[in-house]
Amino acid sequence: MNPFSLAHKTILVTGASSGIGAEAARMISKSGARVIITARNEERLKATFNSLEGSNHGYVLADLTNEEDIKNLIDQIDHLDGVVHSSGIVRPFPIKFIGAKQIDEMYGANYYGPVVLTSKLFRAKKINAGASLVFMSSISSKFPHKGGALYSGSKAALNSFSKTIALEYAPQKIRSNVISAAMVRTPLFDEAEKAISKEMMDKHGEDYPLGFGDPEDIGHAILFLLSGGSRWITGTEIVMDGGLSAGH
Amino acid sequence: MNISEFIEKLEAEFDELEPGTLKPDTNFRDLDEWSSMHALIIIALIDTDYDVTITGDDLSSIETVSELYDIVAQRVA
Repeated sequence: MNPFSLAHKTILVTGASSGIGAEAARMISKSGARVIITARNEERLKATFNSLEGSNHGYVLADLTNEEDIKNLIDQIDHLDGVVHSSGIVRPFPIKFIGAKQIDEMYGANYYGPVVLTSKLFRAKKINAGASLVFMSSISSKFPHKGGALYSGSKAALNSFSKTIALEYAPQKIRSNVISAAMVRTPLFDEAEKAISKEMMDKHGEDYPLGFGDPEDIGHAILFLLSGGSRWITGTEIVMDGGLSAGH
Repeated sequence: MNISEFIEKLEAEFDELEPGTLKPDTNFRDLDEWSSMHALIIIALIDTDYDVTITGDDLSSIETVSELYDIVAQRVA
């Protein structure tokens, strides 16, 4: 049997209305797994749903900062062999503009959502033995940028959460890992480019030996982490940065 | 809001600037201290105090304090 096959698996993908989540959902469906996708925006979530290959997939609208929505999502899930957490936001906040509102906004989307969803999935016994959880994190969790205190902090918190899952659920052979990505061309990339200007983004790109990433590049690593091919990998991170952190 | 209040607010946020340095026709890029951090601070200040969203592209397209003021005044309405 092909150790990299996702056949007969059911995978939940959050943040599936755009960017890495949408691309990962499509790639997972092509690999023969059943995919359940979720996001807040109905129109874009349906567009992703319609682009999935094969049948028997599902979609559930949910705002993961809302506990009722999480409950409803979990009610509609039978059992999962994998979860891809790719919901999240990026916004720069210089330190002196950080307040409770900004913390709630950033940690609500980037930490509360994936953490509470995961916790409740376990409590409801919806995660099968041998399952694999993948969290989208960021290289900024170790190398923050100006204005990135909250974003990089929320991702660092997620890294620790993932390691803790790896420890607590090893007896069931449930694995958890993060992908620490640098800049990938997604709608968030376009937003970041608007926020800091195209000029600065192009300059940043010069530091990437392999250039900026594409969602498909991340998708390949997600497929690997979801498959049995990575069965001895847990509690760690895969850095995907096109060589950015190798040095220059 | 008028432009002198607006300038006072901006100067208060830029620790290195002597009060009175900024004039309506001051070009941001001519300031010795200008950096990417200032762009972030301007964006955050205008978001926090005026509830107006300014992008980096907006900032790239303008040069002077009064042009920035005009964008904010226009969007605050």
